[in-house]
Amino acid sequence: MSSYIELKNISHSFQLNQEKVTLFDELNLSIVQGQSYAITGPSGAGKSSLLMLMSGLEQPTTGQGLYVKAGQSASLDALRADIGFIFQQFHLLAELTALNNVALPLKLRGDKQALEKARTWLTKVGLSHRINHKPSELSGGEQQRVAIARALVFEPSFIFADEPTGNLDQTSATEIADILFACCQENNAGLVVVTHSDILANRAQHIFSLADGQYSQQSKQALQVAAC
Amino acid sequence: MLIGNVKLAWHFYQQERQHSHQRLLRWTQGVLLLFIVTLSQSSASIQNYLDKNLQGLLGADAVLSQKHPLTAKQYAAVTALIDEMVVTQQIQTTLTHNGKWQRAKLKAVDSHYPLQGELLTSQSLQHQGQQTVGGPESGQIWLDARLFASLSLTIGDHILLAEKPFLVSRILQHEPDRLMEGHSVDMRAMVNAADFASLAFAADLVHYRYLIAATSAQISSLLHWQQKNLPAAQVHHKQGAHPLALFWQRTENFIGLASIILFFMAAIAIEQLAQVYLKKDQYFSAICMSLGASKATGMQVSLFKWLIALALLLPLVLLLSTVFHWLIIYWLQETFINLPWHWNIFSMLKTTGFVVIIFAVFHAPVWLALQQTSVAKLFISTSNGTSHWLSKVSSLLVLLGVVITYSDNGLLTLMMVATIVITITLMIVLSWATLTVGEKATQNISGLIPFALFMMKQRLISKSTQILGVGLCAFLLLFTLMLLKDIGATMASYQRQHDGNVMVSQATQSQLTYINRWAKQQNITIRQAKPYMYAKLVAVNEQSLTEFSQKPSDSLATFTRPIRLHWSETIPPNNHIVDGQWWRANTQNWQQISVEQEVMTDLGLQLGDWLTFYIGQQSFNFEISASHAFKPGAGSITFWVQMPAAALAHIQAPHFNMASLEVEQQQWPLLTNLWQKFPTLRMLSLKEMTDRFDTMLAMITKVISGFSLMIIVLSAVVILASLNALESREMKKNSIVMSFGFSQSTCLRLNVIEWLVTATITAVGAIVGTYIAGLLIYQSQFSLTYKPDFIWLLATLSTILLVVTTLGVYASRKSLRSSVRQLMSDT
Repeated sequence: MSSYIELKNISHSFQLNQEKVTLFDELNLSIVQGQSYAITGPSGAGKSSLLMLMSGLEQPTTGQGLYVKAGQSASLDALRADIGFIFQQFHLLAELTALNNVALPLKLRGDKQALEKARTWLTKVGLSHRINHKPSELSGGEQQRVAIARALVFEPSFIFADEPTGNLDQTSATEIADILFACCQENNAGLVVVTHSDILANRAQHIFSLADGQYSQQSKQALQVAAC
Repeated sequence: MLIGNVKLAWHFYQQERQHSHQRLLRWTQGVLLLFIVTLSQSSASIQNYLDKNLQGLLGADAVLSQKHPLTAKQYAAVTALIDEMVVTQQIQTTLTHNGKWQRAKLKAVDSHYPLQGELLTSQSLQHQGQQTVGGPESGQIWLDARLFASLSLTIGDHILLAEKPFLVSRILQHEPDRLMEGHSVDMRAMVNAADFASLAFAADLVHYRYLIAATSAQISSLLHWQQKNLPAAQVHHKQGAHPLALFWQRTENFIGLASIILFFMAAIAIEQLAQVYLKKDQYFSAICMSLGASKATGMQVSLFKWLIALALLLPLVLLLSTVFHWLIIYWLQETFINLPWHWNIFSMLKTTGFVVIIFAVFHAPVWLALQQTSVAKLFISTSNGTSHWLSKVSSLLVLLGVVITYSDNGLLTLMMVATIVITITLMIVLSWATLTVGEKATQNISGLIPFALFMMKQRLISKSTQILGVGLCAFLLLFTLMLLKDIGATMASYQRQHDGNVMVSQATQSQLTYINRWAKQQNITIRQAKPYMYAKLVAVNEQSLTEFSQKPSDSLATFTRPIRLHWSETIPPNNHIVDGQWWRANTQNWQQISVEQEVMTDLGLQLGDWLTFYIGQQSFNFEISASHAFKPGAGSITFWVQMPAAALAHIQAPHFNMASLEVEQQQWPLLTNLWQKFPTLRMLSLKEMTDRFDTMLAMITKVISGFSLMIIVLSAVVILASLNALESREMKKNSIVMSFGFSQSTCLRLNVIEWLVTATITAVGAIVGTYIAGLLIYQSQFSLTYKPDFIWLLATLSTILLVVTTLGVYASRKSLRSSVRQLMSDT
C-alpha cells in the first residue's frame, strides 16, 4: 500500500513590514508515493514554501499536514526519515569525492555497503567514470547527477527537488529530468519538483500552479519515462 | 579615486563591523597590542627613572670597587687622575640584639662622606630624614628603618657587633651612593671607619668602594688606567651601564620570551581568520573587476578597511594600556622607590608601529591573494598554492625575528621553541594517525562515530589546522599553569630534602673548623661542605669579557662580579659531564677548567677556549677542557666553574667553604652564639630562604597569572577564530545532513563527537608537550628533578576535554541553527 502526504485546509502567512502576506488559504492536496508532481508559478508565489510545508520542514499557520504510511496516520514529523532533497545549487560537499558524497547518507545510517551502493547509483546516473572526482572537477550537469544519486541512494519514499535544472543548459536539463523521473519511478518514490520550466513541469503527472494565494491542479495520466 | 576607495572601505568596514571575523580580529589585535604597549611603556618609565637617578642620585661621578684596598701607589695614581675621592668599606655581617639576629650590609665611612648628594638620617621611624654631613661618631651605629624595626630597637639602645657594643644613635634614611651599588634589598647599617678597623674583620671579606668626583675626560683616563692596572676591579660611572638597568633589561627580556608565546598565538588566530577575509575580499575584488574596476581597487579597499579597523581600535587599546601601565608602576614602586608614572610617546609610537607591521605580515596572505585574483574567480574557485605557502613562510620568518630580538637566555628560548616544534609535529602525526586509523577501523561499524571520523578524515587539512591552533594554545596554557604550580612545590621540597635547613654560603677555613667542632658538640649534622675561592673572570681568549660577550644574560651579569671557583679531583657526585673530558686524578696539568653547560651557551664559550681569572690580585689562565651539568640526588651545592686540586699549589688566595646543616627546632637559639662569634659568617636559615623564595614566588605568581589571563583570552579567540573559518562549511554540512532526513540533535551529536576527538588529540598533544617542556626546562633552568604529577595531569586532561568540547559546541551553535531551507535559498 502506497504512502501519501495529505495537506488539509492549509493556510500560510507571514508578517512583512507590519503587513500580513498570505501565501495560501485553505489549501487541500495529496502527494502519493510513486507519483510525480510539479509546482509552478511566478517568483514569490510561494512555491518553495509549499515544498517546505509538504516536507514537514515548516509548520503552516493553520491547517494540518498528515503522513499516512501503511494505513497509519502520523504528523509530518514522521516523514523526516523517508525524504530526500535535490537543490538548484547541488550542495555537494566540496572536500568529498563524488563517491563519498553519494555514500554520505548511507554512512550516516551506518550502512556497511555504503560505498558499493554509492558506486551502483553513480553508474545508474552515468558517472561511473567520475567516481573519484571532486565537485570542483565536475560540470553543473554532472554535479546534479551526483546530487540525484545522493538523494535516492538511501531509498526515500519521497523526493523534493527545488529547481533541479535551474542552473543547467537545455541539453543537460533534459538529461537530468530524464534521470530524475526515471530513477524516482524505478524506486517507487514520490517526486515533487518546484520549477519555472514548463518543459520540466509537463513531465510530471500532476501540476500545481500557484498564483495570488490560489492554486489550480492539473493531472495527466500517461508519463513517458526513460530508463534510469 | 583614492578618496573614493577610502569611502568604500569605510562603508564596508561598517557593514562588517559586527561580523564575527571582524570582532575576533579586533580581540586578537587588541590583546596583543595592549600587552606589548603596556610592557614598552613600563619599560620606558623605568629606563627614564634610571637615567634620572644616574644624573642626580649617584653620590659620585664614578665608583671603583674591589675586594682589596688600593695600594699606596695605586691610591696616588688614582688621585692624580681625578678631583676628589672618598673611601667606604662594606661587609656582610649579622647584628644581634636581645636574642634576635638579622643579616645586614655594614658600611664604614669617614667624615668626608658623602662625596656628592644628600645623606639623610632621622631620630625616629616617624620623622622625615634630615641632611647629615659625615657618618656616625666613633662608638655609634646608624641602622636603616627595616633593620631597626626587625631588631625591635629604640634610639639609645646598644647592640653587639663582634662582641663589641655600639650605641644606636640615628636611623639611616638615604645614602646617595646606594644606587651605584646595584639593586639590593639588603638591610643596612653604618659605622665610623675607625671603629670598623678595630673590629678586625678578615681583610678578604671587606669590599672597598672608592667614590670619585671627576669630569668625563678624567673618567675616561681612569677607565684606561683601571683596565691596565686593575682589570679585576669594577668601575661604575655615569656613562656606563647601570647595574639596576641591567637587572631590568634581563627582566624585560624574560617577559619578552613570554610575549613571543603571545605572538605565536596571535599568528595562529590571524591565520585562521585570514581564510574568511580571503574569501570575502577576493569575492569583492572579483566583483569590482567584473564591473570594470582595476585590480588595485579591491586591494586598496581591503587595505584601507584593515587600517580603519586598526585605527579605531588604537584609542581603546591606548586608554587601557595607560590604566595597566599605571597599575604596574604602582606595583613596581616596591622595587623602584619613587618611580613616577610617565607616558612615553616615542616608545608608544615605536612599539605600535612594530606590532602593526607584524600584523600586516600576518595578514599579507589576503593581499597576496588579491593581487592574483581575477574575474574568473567568480566562476571557478581555485586555491593559491605558492603564494599561500610563501606567506606562511614569511610569517614564520617574522616570528623567528621576534624570537631572536627578544631572546635573553639562548638555551631557554631554544628549548621553548624546540618544545613547540615537537608539540606541533606530535599533533600533526596524532591527527593523521587517529583519523586514518579511526576511519579504517570503524569502516564496518555503524553509527555516528565512524561517520564523524570519516568526515574529519576527509577534512584532514582544515581539521589539523584547527587542532594545531587549539592544541598549541592548550599547551602554552598548561605549561604556564604547571610552572606556576610546580616551581614553588618542587623547589621547596627539594631544598628541604637535600640541603638541611641552614645553608652556610661563606665560611673561612677557621670558621668551618669551628663549625665542625661546634656541630659535633651540639649533635648537629653537616650535610655537605665544599671549598671555593673567589675568582673574577676578566678575559676570554685574551679578549675582555665585555668585548667577548655583549648579549645580556644571567651568566654575564653574574660574571661581572667575582664568582666561586671550586676545585675537585673527580667529578662531584651531583655533576655529570656534558662535553669534553674531566681531568685525571692527581694531574699536574692544573691550567684546565670545567664550565657549567648553560654558562657555556649563554656566553658562547667552547671547549678549548682560554679563560683569564683574577684570583687574589694575580691573573691565571685556564683552558676549558670540560663542560658539566647539575645532576640531582646528591646535594644541591654545585659550582659553575671547577678546576683541578693541583691548581691550589699555584694560586695564593683565601679559601672559603659552602656548607649545609640540619638544625633541630630546639637548637635554633645556638645560632645566635655562632653569629656573635663570627659576624661575617654568611648563613641563611631555611625560614629566610623560604621567605626570599616566597617573595620571589609571589612576584612570579603575579606575572604568570596576568600572563595566563592573556593566554586564556587569546586561546578563546583562537578557538573562535578556527570555528569562524570553518563556519560556513559546517553550516552547509549540517544542512545537508538534515536533508538526508536527520534531525538537529543528530547534527549536535556529530558536533560533540568531532569536538571530543579534537579535544582528545589536543589534550594528548598539550600534555606530552608540557611534559617534554618540563623535562627540558625544569632540569636545565632550575636544576630540579622534574616529577610530573600524573593525577594533576589527568585532571587537567579532563578539564581540557571538557572546556574545549563545551567551548567548541557552544561556539558552533550558529552552524547548528542551519536548515534545509537555507540550502534552498542559497542561490
